Amino acid sequence: MSKTILGISAFYHDSAAAIVQNGRIVAAAQEERFSRKKHDPRFPRLAINYCLEEAFVEPDEIDAIVFYDNPLMTWDRVVKNAIEAGPAGQAQFEKACRSVLGIKLWVADYVRKIVGSLGKLDRLLFTEHHMAHAASAFYPSPFEEAAIITLDGVGEWATTTLGAGRGRSVELIQEIQYPHSLGLLYSAITYYCGFKVNSGEYKLMGLAPYGEPVYADTIRKHLIDIKDDGSFRLNLEYFGFWNDLVMTNDAFAQLFGGPARQPESRITRREMNLAASVQAVLEDAVLRIARHVRKETGLNNCVLAGGVALNCVANGILLREGIFDDIWIQPAAGDAGGALGAALLVAHEYFEQPRVMNETGRDSQHGSYLGPAFSTDEVRAFLDRHGYAYERVVDDDERANRIATALAEGSVVGHFTGRMEFGPRALGARSIIGDPRRADTQSVMNLRIKYRESFRPFAPSVLAERIGDYFDLDRESPYMLLVAQVKPERQKPTDSLAFRDGKDDMLAVINQERSDIPAVTHVDYSARVQSVHADDNPDYHRLIKAFEAQTGCGVIVNTSFNVRGEPIVCTPADAFRCFMRTDMDMLVLEDCLLLKSNQTPLKDDENWRETYELD
Amino acid sequence: MSRQLLEFHPRIGYRFIPGVKARVPHETGGYFVRANAQGFRSDHDFDVNKPSGMRRVLLFGDSFTAGDGVSNGKRYGDVLESQVSDLQVYNFGLPGTGTDQQYLAYKEFATEIRHDLLVIGVLVENIRRVVAHYRVYKDDQGGLQYYAKPYYELVDGELTLFQSPPAREPLSEEQMQAQGGDSVDRGGRFPGLRKLVNKSGLREVVQKVTRYQPVPEYDQRDHPAWLLMAAILTRWIREHSGPVMLMPLPLYHFIEGASSPAGYQARFRELAAATGCLMHDPLPDLSACSAAERRGFRFEKDVHLTAAGHAAIAQSLAPAVERALGAVEGR
Repeated sequence: MSKTILGISAFYHDSAAAIVQNGRIVAAAQEERFSRKKHDPRFPRLAINYCLEEAFVEPDEIDAIVFYDNPLMTWDRVVKNAIEAGPAGQAQFEKACRSVLGIKLWVADYVRKIVGSLGKLDRLLFTEHHMAHAASAFYPSPFEEAAIITLDGVGEWATTTLGAGRGRSVELIQEIQYPHSLGLLYSAITYYCGFKVNSGEYKLMGLAPYGEPVYADTIRKHLIDIKDDGSFRLNLEYFGFWNDLVMTNDAFAQLFGGPARQPESRITRREMNLAASVQAVLEDAVLRIARHVRKETGLNNCVLAGGVALNCVANGILLREGIFDDIWIQPAAGDAGGALGAALLVAHEYFEQPRVMNETGRDSQHGSYLGPAFSTDEVRAFLDRHGYAYERVVDDDERANRIATALAEGSVVGHFTGRMEFGPRALGARSIIGDPRRADTQSVMNLRIKYRESFRPFAPSVLAERIGDYFDLDRESPYMLLVAQVKPERQKPTDSLAFRDGKDDMLAVINQERSDIPAVTHVDYSARVQSVHADDNPDYHRLIKAFEAQTGCGVIVNTSFNVRGEPIVCTPADAFRCFMRTDMDMLVLEDCLLLKSNQTPLKDDENWRETYELD
Repeated sequence: MSRQLLEFHPRIGYRFIPGVKARVPHETGGYFVRANAQGFRSDHDFDVNKPSGMRRVLLFGDSFTAGDGVSNGKRYGDVLESQVSDLQVYNFGLPGTGTDQQYLAYKEFATEIRHDLLVIGVLVENIRRVVAHYRVYKDDQGGLQYYAKPYYELVDGELTLFQSPPAREPLSEEQMQAQGGDSVDRGGRFPGLRKLVNKSGLREVVQKVTRYQPVPEYDQRDHPAWLLMAAILTRWIREHSGPVMLMPLPLYHFIEGASSPAGYQARFRELAAATGCLMHDPLPDLSACSAAERRGFRFEKDVHLTAAGHAAIAQSLAPAVERALGAVEGR
């Protein structure tokens, strides 16, 4: 019997909505893309509107609405944490009270008010946070059965869970509870290194290859005790997140030689080494957990979700260790994916609908292209309405050739086609793309297009059929969630002395050509690979094919279509604005090509940077 | 995100983007819009040929007919279709248009379509739109932009079309003024005062106390706006080869008894008599409902018709359409 389920995640960070019909994922999107507020934690009113639009169902036609987290259990954790923290934790308790009691406990009333209905059940369903993560990892995966690992900061109580998925059922068998959390450990060091919590963890991961893991033993000795089975405990003496409004305390600062780095100040060797160290500790913990769950479940494949599962370096190592035959990571591994997991869980466990597997043996996430698309008529209507100059190139091959030529000539192109991605990574539908062969592409794109820190690497989009020609990876990585080494024969020797002799000048290293695809080769010769399959995104695949035909290179640079602090663009209007505010040379809006040189500058837009809070 | 729904059209000014599908955020949560390949809000394309045994009504109007605020199936045209047997209603409603643009839409898209009855649903406020040369919109950054529209003027007593095709690009206030564009439909009378009164929350009280007349143009038979509107409708009715039904759609002020409808009712009666067309005035049926029901015909903030309002219009219109179609079949 047909069932439509709306899943909602909200009130921590990255609110989202997802809709599932008859066990199939119809739509999913983060609220930030519509509200234009990065990591927007508010109720996902606009994302829900989009999901209903895509499914074309009225709210009262929905069979069930489900929230991805149990507010009562969260409240239980807040109260018990306050008792444990004592008077010192008063400020933290007050903040948590405002958050939980403000909305979360009354979430059903809120849903009814905003959505207009609680669906046919006329009551809101709740899942547990990590159960939603587990479901988001298992159900869309290509595996009939798989071990499950979820890792994040905290849900209600759980921070880490282990389980197994079989057929249409998901079972969690072990968990580690707050305050012991790999996510919070990583976030604490993110905070200490001057990056934003729940946002800057990705930067810390990108910074790690510049450093040496000289603090790894200190972290293991003082901050976290990891057992052989992967279970762990944090030493709370060094952390502020449980009894204060900051992540780390004075003891933590003393341990690492002084106060935390101020945001936007110069990054020193200490931060690089801390990043490398916590990354090494995290990888060690993940491998131990993986071995344990492999042993406990006896299953050959593994699926992962939770914010820590976005650590693609650790994912790559997990794959290479060969603990499992294969792994699959939910592309929206953070809280946004909880909306999808909750909806899938209700479909399969509550309504007992059969699981829908992809007959090709690939996953059922549809390339994670689950957001809104805009027809060519809509794009043209937008451009005409504003009088923007464009050229329509209807023929797919001709258009791909035109874009490929521009890339090969050094242009940076905003690429907007098809349905928007669900999850934090841009996968070609809302991407800025460039030529990976050029040594200056990384600095040009970082400083003139993205306005972000120069050390941050870019990812390659590679033709799925040529992945092995460029990277030490023997399988697909469609969601940019695996890091692999650039093939040794493509690597070029670099002079790291200028960096390693203590001058801490990252630019000296960044600007060296490390391979024949330097723009996507990180300082340690690694790359955050996205393989592009023609089934998932034929337009994007055709474009890389055209670039390959012109240059011999089956790889292009792919970074998200936004500037620093801005959510990835969603609509043609967002894309055009971002295009005009940066040094991009060309914009592709479906079958319309726009050249910067033909556009009139935006009026009254000189203060646009104030629109976005830096991440 | 608010999906763009309308696109430029060189003869009408604009139409729905063909094939667009959207859920428009609204004070009720949202409503669905789906446009067909011809660029009108409809779940199906408009065929020229009529299936045998079916009767077909072509329906024209503005946002009250297009159904701003409700999903396609809840509009009075769609409800009418379900209430009258063997009936197809082709809804050409276009939000924000005046009778002039609706007539142009008819000429552009409808003349070849086989049908039995043409219904022109004239929101009485449209009288101001026929004299407007520009329409103001908020852009996605909240700024005001002015779009030119095609419009008619009576030149030596003859309807003459201007600004056709209208400029595709929007104008700023300064550019519009520089082009001599002083005729802008800003969506009602006394825009500054209206904003102030609305902000105070006393809109309805003020309107009742002052016996506010939203469309005084109808009070004089020779008011230039009425002369222009009557000329457009007269031409439309006379050019049309089949039966035409005029339906003046009342604003809420009239439905809720705050303002006198006498002026507009008299003008439309006179026009119907002069042109020999049918006329259906739904106001008496609507006025017969209780005060609470009548208040429920519009949204809390949005003045467009609710689903209940559309249902009430359809219920009032259905017998008149049945009669008209019966008369056609009896010929």
